[in-house]
Amino acid sequence: MAEPAAETAFADEALTHLDTLYRGALRLTHDPDAAQDLVQEAYLRALRYQHSYQQGTNMKAWLFAIMRNLFWDRFKGARKEDVSLDDVGDFVLFEKLRDEGARPESDVLDKIAASEVVAAVDKLPPLHREVVLLVDVEGFSYKDAAQALGVPIGTVMSRLHRARQQLQKSLFEYAVESGIVRPGGPTQVSQA
Amino acid sequence: MKCQECADKLDRFVDRELTNTEALEVQLHLEGCPDCMEHYEFQEHLKRLVKHSCDCDVAPVAFREKLRQILS
Ligand SMILES: [Zn+2]
Ligand SMILES: [Zn+2]
Repeated sequence: MAEPAAETAFADEALTHLDTLYRGALRLTHDPDAAQDLVQEAYLRALRYQHSYQQGTNMKAWLFAIMRNLFWDRFKGARKEDVSLDDVGDFVLFEKLRDEGARPESDVLDKIAASEVVAAVDKLPPLHREVVLLVDVEGFSYKDAAQALGVPIGTVMSRLHRARQQLQKSLFEYAVESGIVRPGGPTQVSQA
Repeated sequence: MKCQECADKLDRFVDRELTNTEALEVQLHLEGCPDCMEHYEFQEHLKRLVKHSCDCDVAPVAFREKLRQILS
């Protein structure tokens, strides 16, 4: 039986990672109420299984693993719908933009609204979305992301790479639709 | 280092996942190659953009308080 003081210390430390868990749950569920339910259940479970947490390892990754496993348990059907991103191909936004005659950084990235970036992240299949959340948003190392997701580091890297390509593709489509980039650009052959 | 090798390592360079030696090799290539440098700066900027677009959501104060009470 843990000392009450030790338990409070555990809860206090666990709660320092609340924003990371909440953001992750929000981006996975797209629903603030569902996110709170998920996070609350994750914390209760964490407290119950705190003996299985190894001191000195990454508590944030451990907590995230509990939360996302609960998510996948509850939304099992979603796993089947998780489309593969294999067909994205090698989309390199940077090169695409240069082909279109734009200056990729100053002309485009500076003009994309945060809400559009969030929308592009939300459009990713969940298995790819969570890698972007961990590595890009929360700053996890590949190793910690692999621990949180229960996959090898190589899988983290390949999912991340494909997710970024899909993300860039969405942002490019947005840039074209919103007129940030003129389709065809200067490289377009004139249709005489 | 060739541009292709640099491109292959760009993800890991941006994510600070290369060994010190590898990172130094990429750094040296970037300093001598404006094309790759521009690509690197773009990727770095995109990563920052993703972070700052998504990290502004924080847990509501009332929810944090509720959890604190449940867990203590
Ligand atoms: Zn180069
Ligand atoms: Zn921010």
